[in-house]
Parts: sequence; C-alpha cells; structure tokens
Amino acid sequence: MSSPVPARAMRHPNPRNRRAAAVVGVGHTDWVRDWARCRNGERPNDSYGYALEALRNALADAKIGRDEVDGLIAGPTTAYERLGELSGINPRWGDQADAVLAVAQAVMAIEAGYAEVVALVYGNDQRSVGTQYGGPEAMGGNAFLSYVYHSPWGFTSQGALYALTLQSYKHARGFTEAEMGEVSVAQRGWSALNPNAIMRKRITLEDYLASHFVCEPLHLFDYCLINDGGVALIIAEAERAKRMTDRPVFIEGVGRFDLNRGATSLEPRIDDFYLPAQQSAAAQSYAVSGLGPKDMDILQVYDSFSVHVPLALEGYGYCAVGEAGKFLRESRIGPGGRLPLNTSGGHLSETYMQGWAHQIECVRQLRGECGERQVAGARHAHYTSDVAGKCFSVIYGR
Amino acid sequence: MSATAARPRPKIDPINRGFWENARAGILSVQTCDNCRDVHFPGSPVCPRCLSGDQSWTPVSGRGTLLSWVRFHRAYWDGFRAELPYLVCLVGLEEGPLLISNILETDPEKLVIGSPVEAVFETVDEELTLPKFRMRG
Repeated sequence: MSSPVPARAMRHPNPRNRRAAAVVGVGHTDWVRDWARCRNGERPNDSYGYALEALRNALADAKIGRDEVDGLIAGPTTAYERLGELSGINPRWGDQADAVLAVAQAVMAIEAGYAEVVALVYGNDQRSVGTQYGGPEAMGGNAFLSYVYHSPWGFTSQGALYALTLQSYKHARGFTEAEMGEVSVAQRGWSALNPNAIMRKRITLEDYLASHFVCEPLHLFDYCLINDGGVALIIAEAERAKRMTDRPVFIEGVGRFDLNRGATSLEPRIDDFYLPAQQSAAAQSYAVSGLGPKDMDILQVYDSFSVHVPLALEGYGYCAVGEAGKFLRESRIGPGGRLPLNTSGGHLSETYMQGWAHQIECVRQLRGECGERQVAGARHAHYTSDVAGKCFSVIYGR
Repeated sequence: MSATAARPRPKIDPINRGFWENARAGILSVQTCDNCRDVHFPGSPVCPRCLSGDQSWTPVSGRGTLLSWVRFHRAYWDGFRAELPYLVCLVGLEEGPLLISNILETDPEKLVIGSPVEAVFETVDEELTLPKFRMRG
C-alpha cells in the first residue's frame, strides 16, 4: 500500500531555509472568554477585531512597535488590504495564506530578502456568524467542489470527507474504534492542563465510545470545536531575531507536497490516505533540518478531525505504516506519554484556529512557558498538516 | 442552519449534462477523452491527462467495488431528515473512476469494503434520475 517518496520532491531538499528565520513574538485572543460570550448570544468581535487583538498581543510579546514590521500575511478569513488598513501597516511585502502556508511564505520572503520582520495575522468569527462546514450554506462551497458535488446523495461536510477516510483506513490497516478514541481522550488530558483551552473536562475511552455519531464512524468527540478567535506571530530574519530576543524559536525546515488529482472523487484520501505526499513533505523537512522523528520532543498535528493523527503518525515517520493503532495504544500521546501530541488540546479541545494556534503552541513549548502542560526540556517541535491535499511539515527548534 | 425542505438537486452545467441525461435513460457514464481515452469522473472542461477539450460521456458497466461508506446521523437538508441514519458509499468502478452514491442496504454489517456492487437507477421525477448502488452476488 505504501508508495515511494516522489523522486521529483527528493531532488529539491530546500537546503537553504534552515534557521533562516525565527519566531520572535506570538499572541492570541481570549477565546475561553469569547466562547462564553458567544454562548450567551453576544458577538464579541468580528474577524478583523480578533486578528488585530492577536496582533497587538504578538507585537507586545516581541517587544517591538508596529513600524518594525515590513511584511504582512493575512489569514484566509480577512481581506489582506483591509487588514493592512486596519492595522496601519504599509509593508514592502505581503500576502494572504492559511496557517502553515503563512509560515512557509514568511520564511521564503525573509530568505529572499523581501522582508525582515513579518507579521502573520489571523482572525475568525466563525462561531458568532454561524459559519457552516457542510450543507446548503457551506463555507467555500463554490470553491471546493467536493463540498457540494455529492449533495444529491446527501453527502456533504468536511466531517463526512474524514468519516469516509476513516472507514477506509480502518479496513486497510485493521484500525479500531477504540484506537481512534485514544486521540480525543489524550487531547482532553492535555487541555485539562491548559487554562487557555475551551473544553477542559477529561473524558474516558468509555465516554468516547458512548458518544453519539455525527457522520459515522466519526463520533462527536472526533470533531473540532467551532469558536471565535485570533492568532498572530511575528517572524524575523534569524540574525535580527537574535538581536530582538534572547529566546528566538527558529524554523528548522519546511517541506510540502500536494496531491490534487482526483480530489473531488476523493482518490488521494482513499487510495493511500495522503501517505506519499506526507512522506515527501517529511523527507524534505528532515533533509533541511538534519532532524528526524526521534529528535522531536513534541508533535502538533492539524486536527480538524481526530483521524488526522494516525495518518500523520504513519505519514511523517513516527511509526511504521499500519502501526498507528498500536502506537496510540502503547506509546500514548497524552500527558506522560512517549510522544506529547497536540499539547494544548488542539482543535478538538483547545480552540479551532485552523492550524494557527498549533504554531504558537510549538513556540511556547520551546520557550518553556506552558505551565502544567509543559514538556520538560523540549528542544524541537514538529507541526504537520494535510488539508485538502496539501501536506506540510514544519520543524521548530530553539 | 437554513436547511431547505427539498433535497439538493445536481447543478447541471454544460460539462456534466451528458452524465445526467444518460442517467435518465438508465445508463451510468463517465467522461472519456476522445484524444487519449482517459476515463474520469466528475467531468472536467479538459482532459486532466492530456488537456484535450474533446471529450464524451461513455457508458460503463455499472459494476464496481465498495471502497468506503459512512452513515449520516445528522441532516444537513430537511429532505434527508426522515431517512436518518442514512448510508452514503464510495464506489470504485471497474473502469477506474470513483463515485459517491447511496447504497441500497439497511444492514451496515453487510457493507464489507471490497465487496462487489452494481448500479441501479432511482427515478426522482421526470427530470432527475439518481444512479445508486446495491450489493452484487
């Protein structure tokens, strides 16, 4: 079942971007407070307001003024020009990108000399405005064909795409419902230690198995939250970063490989669960950084649904293909386990910031700021995502 | 959620029209490139293999393999509410392309991935017939 790493990707190991840039500041909004306010029928802010609150906090964390910023990357839910207007930033380089692409583009811009200090800014009012990820009003429904193409048969929603993937994966690998449950149980174990997490009540495997299905085989606890909030990072050229702070967190390597062919009929998800693309992205980032899975103290996986986690464990080389179930049962990914994974609680339990909050969790863990959930002595943190066929691997180090 | 009473209907456009016209005649079809003979689904404006614009909807056997299935426990349209929980399948046709559809089976225990399936046609009204699948053999 496992496919070789595409040769085309291996010829381009991105050798120059190792430690070209570092994170010097991170910020976010108080999504626990805003969750309560949204549940109370209030609309605390809009996407721009959340983005700007996060930017203010990230600039304060970096101890710099706005005028030091010469690059601006806006997240996907805020228009770039408007975000620049509202934040008062006229950069010499700018772009619009999702979380992991924003990090990659900041590194690229810095390495190419187009910018030295880049602000990455994201805000999303998805809870208070009722953003839908399935059905007749699905966000992005016109752009993402698989959201709507299959609707005459009643097939819709991001969750259903992953439910279909999990069903096929269970069959191909002998993966069980209880093994799937290990993920949300472990992540609640982490979020229980995180005062910034929205869902902090611990759950057991029995709770997981007894919870209702939304799109079977996915249980309620396999789904991410939908909440309001914002996240920002300041990424600076490495030498400048060292002058700006005594605790820079370097980007050690980035890798990417995409599978687009057959996307609407879900071939890349079902054929091999994105495995060749994950392996290629991993190989690129490991080659650049000189690091591998054994060097990682923390793994952060984009987890809109829990099934991302076993796929990532296999695809990015944390266990052999077909052994993620055993790994989840025996190695443990929760507090005290062998591989601390999604140490904030992730999208399932902390906050659904579409990958952005995973970046700042990497940074804070490497700075040693994470209180009860701190992974002692963490030196390297690995972020992986496989969203809509785009597989990314980003390695942070101090 | 602004769920609608009706079930969603396909958005018929110049590219997929042939598929839905064939379905009304009880024929399952996939898009075939007239130039390189690549077969694919859903339809696309040019062949994804050779980029030719000359393509046709050609009949297929209707036979395939069950690749995956899910069961919806939530209705995103009111029109599906009475069917809850309902089954959706992913079928790999003998000719290659993959199709999302419904599987006419009530017992999920019988939905063994890898099992053979075959197309059947459900007439919704004069204008719409939906290809669906049932277990074969």
